Amino acid sequence: MTMILDPTASLAHDITDPGPDAGDLRGKRIAIRIDMLWRSWDWVSEVWADGLRAEGAHVTFWRSCGRTGEEGVAADRDYAALLANSDMAIVGLGNCGSCTSWTIADALRAAATGIPTIAVATAHFEGLANNLAKRGGRSGLRLHILPYPLDILPKEQVNDIARDHYRSFLRGFGVRSGLVEQSAA
Amino acid sequence: MAQGWGDGLPLIPPTEARVQDFLVQGGRFPDEVVAFLPPLRSECTVEKIAINAVMAGCTGDAMPLLCAAIEAMADPAFDLAGLNATTGSVVPAIIVNGTIRNRLDIPYQAGCLGGVASPAVAIGRALRLIMRNVAGQLIGSTSQSVYGTPGRVAGILFAEWEERSPWAPLAERRGVKGDAVTAYGAMGTANICDVVANSADGFLDMIAKSMAYPGANGFLPSSAFSETLCAINPIWAEVIARDYPRMEDVQAYLWDKCALPIDWFRPEYRDPIGNLGRIKPDGRVHLVPTPDDVLVMVAGGEGGLHAAMLHSWGTCLSVTRPVVAA
Repeated sequence: MTMILDPTASLAHDITDPGPDAGDLRGKRIAIRIDMLWRSWDWVSEVWADGLRAEGAHVTFWRSCGRTGEEGVAADRDYAALLANSDMAIVGLGNCGSCTSWTIADALRAAATGIPTIAVATAHFEGLANNLAKRGGRSGLRLHILPYPLDILPKEQVNDIARDHYRSFLRGFGVRSGLVEQSAA
Repeated sequence: MAQGWGDGLPLIPPTEARVQDFLVQGGRFPDEVVAFLPPLRSECTVEKIAINAVMAGCTGDAMPLLCAAIEAMADPAFDLAGLNATTGSVVPAIIVNGTIRNRLDIPYQAGCLGGVASPAVAIGRALRLIMRNVAGQLIGSTSQSVYGTPGRVAGILFAEWEERSPWAPLAERRGVKGDAVTAYGAMGTANICDVVANSADGFLDMIAKSMAYPGANGFLPSSAFSETLCAINPIWAEVIARDYPRMEDVQAYLWDKCALPIDWFRPEYRDPIGNLGRIKPDGRVHLVPTPDDVLVMVAGGEGGLHAAMLHSWGTCLSVTRPVVAA
């Protein structure tokens, strides 16, 4: 009998647990990872940051730029320092192929430190984000999905979307707050 | 094909005997891990390389080149994770230098970018099957490429015509003498034609200005840096080298002319580009940050008249690795 050998590689070990809930936000240091690509994500994260601050959290933004060469080495170092000084991480935006790849890679890195982590992507790239999280060994990674297309919308409309999504985002992140409980009720 | 292992072309069944023959010829231990390839981030072993290479119709003597190419693509500077997932139509181009070009019959003359019969087609295809089967790059699943590119089937794998180049080989200029591969994130290939120019400046002007098109990823307002690559035919190279015997001067000339005035961009582009510090005092934006980021090589037929430009996908930096014999 002729044996045919398998050319594929197996999936990495998978963690299906989403990790710890964000819980109570009061006094928590929250890192929001933004990027150079999507103005809409800047706008959404600003709206959400206002809400998080109102809940008593301290918000720090970190912008992902070039991730290769000397700039990439510096970015890796800065991101590690950010995570070391954060209690939770919000990582976005997956709104294209490569940026979703980096979003999920940075989210996986944050989750690996043990802090509550949520990645954010747009609807068209939800499948990719889930696939990359699974192939990165953590299919349980929390993911919040924003509408697509997003970046071609005017700022006012994006801000409305950010406000509309805020409560469901908090629920997905495992936040305990009056706003979430009010929403659930 | 039913297993999802293929690219649409017929595959040679990777039987145990064929793979064993390949491994013996390749001279590497099958369980040796060559790299971890994203998005799957799983082990790419010598055996997996051999299985996919057999399927592609590759012969065992290509194993050192395959391993070197995999190592180059897996270097973090190459950003394979982003490249394999992007909406862009990028494919790693593999440029071969050294005597291995001739031992493996890698093309560098007429038709070198596609069309000439050569083992490079099978080697390139093997690398693409590895990307599919080992790295897990699948259209619609992990790759979001809006168009893809024909190079994603049999790769873009060609060599430099070192014997006709007035300058040092590309890999040697990048620090690796002898047998070497350079992985470059290519947004396909495009032609530059000129039937008028008869001087170094004339040829270089046409090449540089052709490369400076606004939809090139290097001009994206989100691109902090990029590279670009051009292949110059040996006829033009000879003319250019009379005036520019130093490659650094060729690169500097191309870099200078490969630029667009910021006023040429619509207003909404200007602030993001300016915020990256990319607008020079003379009001121009260069495709790439420095002359070193313009990669130049000699390849192509003696018919002249054409150069080839391969734009970079973005911040994936080209990586050169030696090809180490088994």
